Amino acid sequence: MAQQKKPRTLSGATTNKAPKISGAEAATQRELLRQAREREERERKVRRTVTFGTLGVVVIGLVVLLIAVVVPALSKKAAAAGSYGLTVGADSAPVTVDIYQDFICPYCGQFDRAQSADLKSLVDAGSVKVVFHVMNFLDSSSNGTKYSTRAADAFVTVAKQQPSAALAFDTALYTDQPAEGSDGLTDAQIADRARSAGVSDSVIATFANQPNLDFVTKSNQAAFDEGIQSTPTVKINGTVFKGDLYTAGAFKTAIQAAK
Amino acid sequence: MSDLVDRVHTFRQSNVWIYSTMLVSACLSLLASFVLSVDAIALAKDPHANLSCNINSRISCGTVGVSWQAHLFGFPNAFLGLLAEPVVITIAVACLAKVRFPRGFMLAAQIVYTLGVIFAYWLFFQALFGIGALCPWCLLVTLSTTLVFASLTHINLRDNNLFLPPRAHEAGKAALRMGIDIMIVTLWLGAAIALVFWKYGATVFG
Repeated sequence: MAQQKKPRTLSGATTNKAPKISGAEAATQRELLRQAREREERERKVRRTVTFGTLGVVVIGLVVLLIAVVVPALSKKAAAAGSYGLTVGADSAPVTVDIYQDFICPYCGQFDRAQSADLKSLVDAGSVKVVFHVMNFLDSSSNGTKYSTRAADAFVTVAKQQPSAALAFDTALYTDQPAEGSDGLTDAQIADRARSAGVSDSVIATFANQPNLDFVTKSNQAAFDEGIQSTPTVKINGTVFKGDLYTAGAFKTAIQAAK
Repeated sequence: MSDLVDRVHTFRQSNVWIYSTMLVSACLSLLASFVLSVDAIALAKDPHANLSCNINSRISCGTVGVSWQAHLFGFPNAFLGLLAEPVVITIAVACLAKVRFPRGFMLAAQIVYTLGVIFAYWLFFQALFGIGALCPWCLLVTLSTTLVFASLTHINLRDNNLFLPPRAHEAGKAALRMGIDIMIVTLWLGAAIALVFWKYGATVFG
């Protein structure tokens, strides 16, 4: 492609002068030609510097990108293997419901507000256990306060320390849920909601240390790796529930049918 | 090696290369605008068309699609792309067939497209820092708009369709011959990519 034989119209445009040759004019013409050649040589040098300079910057940029972003992302991916599900309810329950959620995701809130009463009665009856998978991919939607991570961190603490209160705490976080794009709840408000959900003060006291940051990040990554594309994703006995998540009824029926 | 650099630069200055770049970029931009328009119509029909928070396609819950920035002029921005890019495609194809447009026509195209580029980058920054959500098709618009702008400006500077005074025109042509334009475009796009990664880092690889 680069071999194109085309007249170049770009450079040397200033050298065409009327050919009326006297001695003095021939000299000026030679002089002009010489100047044109010098200019061309100068431009070529700059061109080379510019080209290789730009290439150099691009290569350095790529290397920095590789080291700063790709490598950590890949190693995170490798480290994320393992299970980050938090089980609530009787182990012997015949039906397992997996919930993948981000606490600032408005549709997760809609889902919870529509289904939490049914879920609670089913869990209390021992017919369902819920496996929560916390995610924080919407961290950038809370004005830099990382509400998704903070709420998930507190939730993981409760699910691990006092699983009996986890379902109520989950519902408390979604009741009057902060809007996507707002600051989210403050840490104090998260603690208040935990208290109202019956979480003990000693457990709430450990929220401040945010002991599960690593867990939350890995849980999020593990969900990505499983191929979760959106939240809420809800599975009944491992199969994604495709019915209406946002109105009570169909979901409960599907769970009862799965028994 | 430096001979190769010269050859590449000569080719880069050729009409075939410039107008082909313009054509391909404008087609990509049109494609992206089309997809975004279809999305916008689906969202307008039913604001809850997608009842979930998508991780990749619209990172957060349709925020980009329903934000006020996406309807700055009262209709989806993508419609502007549907209007403007076919004109660019026509210009590129005609010029590849050796049509020469009047200078005033090309100047008008330059002015309108410059406004378009400014708007595209305003949206880019809004998406990054205001809306806080990435949208792959929007990024394609940003990229291809930049490339169309670069090739259009290249032509107009070279052929002085911008009505510059002779000395400024000579300086502009010299800059083109020395590859200053390609340096600016490369560094500019590099900076934009770096910005995306700096802001979103690993999420992009989610």
